[in-house]
Amino acid sequence: MPKVDWLKGIFPALVTPFTKDEEIDVEAYKKLIDFVIDDVNGVVPCGTTGEFVYLSMKEKMKLFDTAIDHIGGRVPVIAGTGCESTKETIETTQYAKDAGAKACLVVSPFFFRPQFNEVYDHYEKVNDVGLPLIVYNIPQCSGTHHRWWTTEGLADLTNVIGVKDSSGDMPYMMALFEKVKGQIAILCGHDEIGMPALAAGADGLILASANLIPDIWQEMYAAVQKGDIAKAQDIQARIQKLVRIIANKGASQAVKEGLAMMGLPVGESRRPILSGGIFEREDREEVRAQLEFLGKIQRKKVELKDRKGKTVHTDYPVCPKTPPDFGDLSFRNGEAFSGPPSSEVAHIDLLLGWKDGPVGTALDEALVRDNGGDGTRMKLVMDRPKLLIVPTVTIRTQRQEQHVFVHAAGGIVAATQRLIEIGVIPGALLDEISMIANVFVHPSASIPKRIRLNNYKAMGAAVKKALEHQPTLEEVLREKASARHPFRYTP
Amino acid sequence: MRESDEMTKFRLRGVYPALVTPFTKDDNVDEVAYRKLIQAVLGDVEGIVVAGTTGEFVYLSVEERKRLFEIAVDEVRGRKPVIAGTGAASTKTAIELAKVAADAGVDACLVVCPYFIGTDDKGIHEHFYRLAQKSELPIILYNIPQTAGRYIPRRVVEDLARIDNIIGLKDSSGDLTYTLELLEKVEGRIDIVIGHDEVVLPALAAGCSGMILASAQVFPDIWQKVFAAVHIGDLETARALQMKVQKLARIFCRLGGPVPVKAALGMMGLDMGKTRMPLKIGGALVHEDREEIRLELEKIGKVKHKESEVEQVELPLEQRFEDVGIPEDAVKKEGLAVGSSEAGTGIERVKMDLVAGSNKTSIAKAFAVQLTSPRHGYEALTIILEPNLTIRPASLVVPTVKLKNLRQANMIYGPSQSAIGRAVADCLESNVIPESVMNSHLMIFKVFMHPDALDRQKLYENNYAAASEAIKGVFSKGVR
Repeated sequence: MPKVDWLKGIFPALVTPFTKDEEIDVEAYKKLIDFVIDDVNGVVPCGTTGEFVYLSMKEKMKLFDTAIDHIGGRVPVIAGTGCESTKETIETTQYAKDAGAKACLVVSPFFFRPQFNEVYDHYEKVNDVGLPLIVYNIPQCSGTHHRWWTTEGLADLTNVIGVKDSSGDMPYMMALFEKVKGQIAILCGHDEIGMPALAAGADGLILASANLIPDIWQEMYAAVQKGDIAKAQDIQARIQKLVRIIANKGASQAVKEGLAMMGLPVGESRRPILSGGIFEREDREEVRAQLEFLGKIQRKKVELKDRKGKTVHTDYPVCPKTPPDFGDLSFRNGEAFSGPPSSEVAHIDLLLGWKDGPVGTALDEALVRDNGGDGTRMKLVMDRPKLLIVPTVTIRTQRQEQHVFVHAAGGIVAATQRLIEIGVIPGALLDEISMIANVFVHPSASIPKRIRLNNYKAMGAAVKKALEHQPTLEEVLREKASARHPFRYTP
Repeated sequence: MRESDEMTKFRLRGVYPALVTPFTKDDNVDEVAYRKLIQAVLGDVEGIVVAGTTGEFVYLSVEERKRLFEIAVDEVRGRKPVIAGTGAASTKTAIELAKVAADAGVDACLVVCPYFIGTDDKGIHEHFYRLAQKSELPIILYNIPQTAGRYIPRRVVEDLARIDNIIGLKDSSGDLTYTLELLEKVEGRIDIVIGHDEVVLPALAAGCSGMILASAQVFPDIWQKVFAAVHIGDLETARALQMKVQKLARIFCRLGGPVPVKAALGMMGLDMGKTRMPLKIGGALVHEDREEIRLELEKIGKVKHKESEVEQVELPLEQRFEDVGIPEDAVKKEGLAVGSSEAGTGIERVKMDLVAGSNKTSIAKAFAVQLTSPRHGYEALTIILEPNLTIRPASLVVPTVKLKNLRQANMIYGPSQSAIGRAVADCLESNVIPESVMNSHLMIFKVFMHPDALDRQKLYENNYAAASEAIKGVFSKGVR
């Protein structure tokens, strides 16, 4: 029998909302808790996703208090109390205990890399505080990867009730099942392998993505408990793109931007995590696309004018930056980039405008000059809307020609069709719009499928940016100093 | 095992090139080219290394390695030592290859740490120990964790150094803490030579007795000077020389092993053919960086510099946008704002012509035409701060000197795109460009940069200065 029976199911590692001046936003925190609470078995304030390393002791105290008071015992609160030193960890844990936390999540001591005997002694001291304790292994951040024998030994400490493993190292987790299953709860903390971890015997999941989609994780948990493996596999596959970004590309910022897209603004991460940094702009577009796909973003009415100035409406899943009015569409541009890998990146410069305006006229004239765009220098790939693809690198080989006019073009057309389907490009204007896509495919590109997918993603983003006037002034000013242009430096 | 004899012991001193293996068009070893390469370098080096990592040894059959050993021995005719790369993943093959090398008449074997399947201290020790027992030739241990996947553990080296016919170690790790550990522990029993082109000077200064390098077939003369300078304690000269070749060293070490070395030799008139697949140009060494090699070789006098022609006709400002589709009368009739500026001196000087106006003017059509009908060599690109962070008002950069290769292209687009982008952003912040025109106006920057310009940071600064000046000039007059 495990030491406690409540430590199972789905637990979000709550993000810490900040106001514009980087103070803790208590109201937003409460709203977030209200948003997730019906779909979770407990919450974790001040975990890695909660940016605990960027929080002062006072701030952690405030977050523990807020969560515990606001929840009022409806679900357990597991306080993230791990620090670098044993002393500080004990102090934080003692506070959490007194505040009424049900348990604490204690990360492996980090920065200096203590030996395993030092790690054991650390937990032994924290165990003495008397608050039920979950050992937390996250080598990608802490720098130390527990071995099964470390965890096996820690399981014997009286107050250790569980282990959270965020390494994604399945062989390590399998050893935990072999050694400590039934003695302590085994929780997986890596969003990409939630399903196999549960299927193999994990008692629950503590996840960053459970802020965004606790309902979906709960559905998967139920499916695995019922033994419906096929359904659980389907669910994991549906969310895999979203959770891969969250697990690998700046979890807190990714989750925060996702929440904002879903109508729950929680501010930005603290520096040095920044939007457009480890969580790249293309990741933001992908998070948006995936949340759209999962039905998590509300559709909203957007106004625009047709060629004759008549008001037309469209509605589609908007992001917080989407203006309510697209304004004048006579000349728009949008730029988007999508990788990886570097050899197959897509970079699209898009112009969009009326077919009888500067964009449409330039398109028509180019086709006349190029004998109808027969696919050597440019190619008209769609009629409604008119869409011309122009390669930015001179085509010299048949392989390049295939890459641009078959694979990249395939992705671009598919993206455009999808944009029409979800209403980003309004159906009423299909006969009035012309688009010119300048498409970069590197001469060293090899993998056709990647060229197609990267161009699919880049085209989706480029059109949205053109219509929604992105980037905004605020974004440009905020990031102008930290922008890193890849060709600025010598090899 | 060889008899211990200090007098005849092979000493590893000075400069040794790890030769590439030339291939013919049909992918066979190119004997003629190989002999030519050996002739070209032999005068400047203490000896040569055949079928090392740069020689693509893992892509060669035993037969091919044998042939290379024979050609090298025949071509060198005893004038200098020939060191054969005889490493293999298995001990059995390594022993066979050492025998092949001995029969061919080489002077020593360079034996890489066993690779691919993971082994431990004991396995690695066993590999070299057995080999030393079976081999008649002096053995040089070869540490290259970047490709072998593991270090030869220092404790193993300590023991192996006490075996008579293990006479040296080549360390290609670039990890000087490891190199110094070895120097401390082997106490002069074996020679430690550096195999990492980027850290030659500090390694020699610390006590390495020489070098086995890919770049020692491209510029052995420079390495000889570094070696000599360190030898007499002239560190200033040694530092200056190392810095002179640092970028090339970095490219050779990090961008695809033999690929950049063959590219460099080709530029110097020594055609060594292609590397075997899967290595190719466009992999780790992208085309842009290959062109960078040529410029570096020009700087050290290994390739003759061809002056690029940059005839520029100075038209009156209003006429300078004809070629991007805005004729003089449109500029005048529509009152488009035009301006000109320049910044910097010498080869990194930047000149800029700017036209700006609302997207209801001819500039909109011109903008679209630039992107639909790119003029070959003068392709326009939208200005971005970085990929996925475009600038507004939407702007284009158009080069005024024809771009002939990808290096020139990325030289122009990297520094100028990002610098002009930053200038526009700063002008938005300081309100030189009013926020109200952010989404309604367009700009086209025609930019002159010399095709031979090298210093990207200077180009960035000059682009930034010129763009800021041009924008201020244009917007202070008012832009319609």
